[in-house]
Amino acid sequence: MTSPVEDVEVVAARRPQPRRGVSLRDAGPPIALVVIFLVFSALSSDFRTIGNVQNIMDTAAVLAVVTCGITFVLMMGSIDLSAPGIMGASAIAVALLVANNRNDNDLGLIGILVAVLLAAALGCLSGLALVLLKVPSFMTTLGVSAVGLGVATLMFAGVQPNISDAMLKGWAVERFLGFAYLTWIAVGCVLLGYLVQRYSRLGRYAFAIGGAEEVLALSGVKVAPYKVAVFTLAGAFYGLAGVMVTSQLSAGLVQAGKGYDFAAITAAVVGGTLLTGGRGGILHSAVGVLLITALTNGLVQVGVSPYWQGGVQGLIVVAAVAAAVVPQRRRNQVTK
Amino acid sequence: MKLTSRPAAALVGLSLAAMALAGCSEEAGGGGGGDASASGACDPADVKLVGQVRNESNPYEASWLDGGDAFAEQVGLTQERLTYDADSTKQQEQVSQLLAGDTDCLVMNILPNGDSDTPPIVEGAQDAGAYLVTQWNKPADLNVTDYDHWVSHITYNGVESGKQIGDALAEAIGGSGGIIALQGILDTGAAKDRFAGLEESLAANPDVELLDDQTANFSRDEALAVTKTLLTKHGDDVKGIWAANDDMALGALAALEQAGRDDVAVVGIDAVPDALTAIQDGTMTATVSSDGPWQGGIGLAIGYCVATGELSVDDIGDEDRAWFAEQFLINSDNVADFSAPETDEADFECDNVFSRSQGAIS
Repeated sequence: MTSPVEDVEVVAARRPQPRRGVSLRDAGPPIALVVIFLVFSALSSDFRTIGNVQNIMDTAAVLAVVTCGITFVLMMGSIDLSAPGIMGASAIAVALLVANNRNDNDLGLIGILVAVLLAAALGCLSGLALVLLKVPSFMTTLGVSAVGLGVATLMFAGVQPNISDAMLKGWAVERFLGFAYLTWIAVGCVLLGYLVQRYSRLGRYAFAIGGAEEVLALSGVKVAPYKVAVFTLAGAFYGLAGVMVTSQLSAGLVQAGKGYDFAAITAAVVGGTLLTGGRGGILHSAVGVLLITALTNGLVQVGVSPYWQGGVQGLIVVAAVAAAVVPQRRRNQVTK
Repeated sequence: MKLTSRPAAALVGLSLAAMALAGCSEEAGGGGGGDASASGACDPADVKLVGQVRNESNPYEASWLDGGDAFAEQVGLTQERLTYDADSTKQQEQVSQLLAGDTDCLVMNILPNGDSDTPPIVEGAQDAGAYLVTQWNKPADLNVTDYDHWVSHITYNGVESGKQIGDALAEAIGGSGGIIALQGILDTGAAKDRFAGLEESLAANPDVELLDDQTANFSRDEALAVTKTLLTKHGDDVKGIWAANDDMALGALAALEQAGRDDVAVVGIDAVPDALTAIQDGTMTATVSSDGPWQGGIGLAIGYCVATGELSVDDIGDEDRAWFAEQFLINSDNVADFSAPETDEADFECDNVFSRSQGAIS
């Protein structure tokens, strides 16, 4: 899968990236985040406490990791709906591999690794189906999600696996510098994702595929292996997210990833990663995750009735996206 | 590239197909009905029993089918276990397949996916002459008494269960203090009724204050996030958490653990195994059980009694055609009785099948 490496090596000596500087284009979402933060802080004294900021960061952790994975796929201009199935499969797998109430396994970290590898394999399956069978990513990933849920249901076998592994449980409960370990894991994932996006060939090509796949192909790059690799990487991120949900709930749930596919796509788009590909990135998406999480949290803190919340949240998200894309409105006209 | 990818493509395609096939290789056993007999005069050995629920990965619905098996064994038959993965279309297909076969002595105990799924099932059973009992879901304006093969519809009073756990919560926090409520999916009848029950309980316990109510959509994961937020908002004022189902109660328990709080009482509804364990451990206060195994047995029992002529539809009172069944509050005192639920043969005797009725659905 890494065969075309040597012929690209020669070209890579040129300047690594075009300079852009901080343009208005990238500033929209962070400004929206600050505005939302200030508005809620003014409205609610409960929102602006240290405890609540910790809470927002802890709550954002799982979504941040899922969004890391989905961002790479979106950068390529593909879409990925496989998160619920892959997260479910990895959640049940990890719950059955670490110390639990269903069997005598006690693999600890190895169990977590196996669950993430299983998830990466499922992600790889999406990529292969996309590249070899030429099925649109929308359908392949939807199918892989169903496969993942099927695998999870088989392993579930009617009895909820509850974990007793002290380490995995501790991730959600124990804190370092005020934040849960899970939050630090998410921060690590965002950093890792950023480094991959910025400095590895995989990340650069993901951008290039989203920007102009034909140009890349014509210049002699075999894009297929990179596409598969991106889906595999995304799968691994979803797998880790599934493990994190299991840690939080102390139990492996088939529905561990329910709703995370669209939540992550929303976060990425709000942060400025375009669905058409070639624009945005991990840091943009991370801002989007914080924006969505702060919004959900703020609406509860301010005391908006649950009957209104869904609608209000939707309106604010649309407004935030609209504000974020104003500087690139002309570019967006091609988006149907 | 093109050529080399062909075999690989075929392989992936084949393996995907294999997985799909493996997914639907459901066993279709069950005894075939014998000679056609007039309605209400089946030979007990000719009766075909079918139990249908959403999926077996849900412990409650799995226990429902186990209860059906227990009844079938009691009368020397076997139950055909059907699941439709919460897919309305699949449910209708399964039912039409059943009704296309020999239906004279067919008894079906069905959990319709939603209210709107009940009418076609009822019409089908009526036309085919099969005996049908439905549970939980039916449109309010569809009357059981308009049909003679839709023998009975059983459901539970959500207002009552919401009130039962509300009262248990009030008692656990000593009759006064702040509580928060986690609602279910707001546009479902179950969520509405259960919350109305909580409001009744609050009216009866004036010193208990509802600090906040939010929805967590019956989900464990969402309940975790919502509870964390509400705990930072209300802090130590929170003495109790009322959840409209056990999954949300378990999510709330995880949030309490992460916040380092062990002084908050939590109640839920449904009696899922994890909740019963939590009650045994003392981390959860109470839940309500509809008794899944009984539900699985009773629907078949009613249908069986009518099919064999021991009961006649005309003799069943209108109040027993659509009724609320008894539900049970589980707390630390009686949790041991519910940890391994069993069916009682006496409940399924033909003169006893309506003994758990709490009255007609108004």
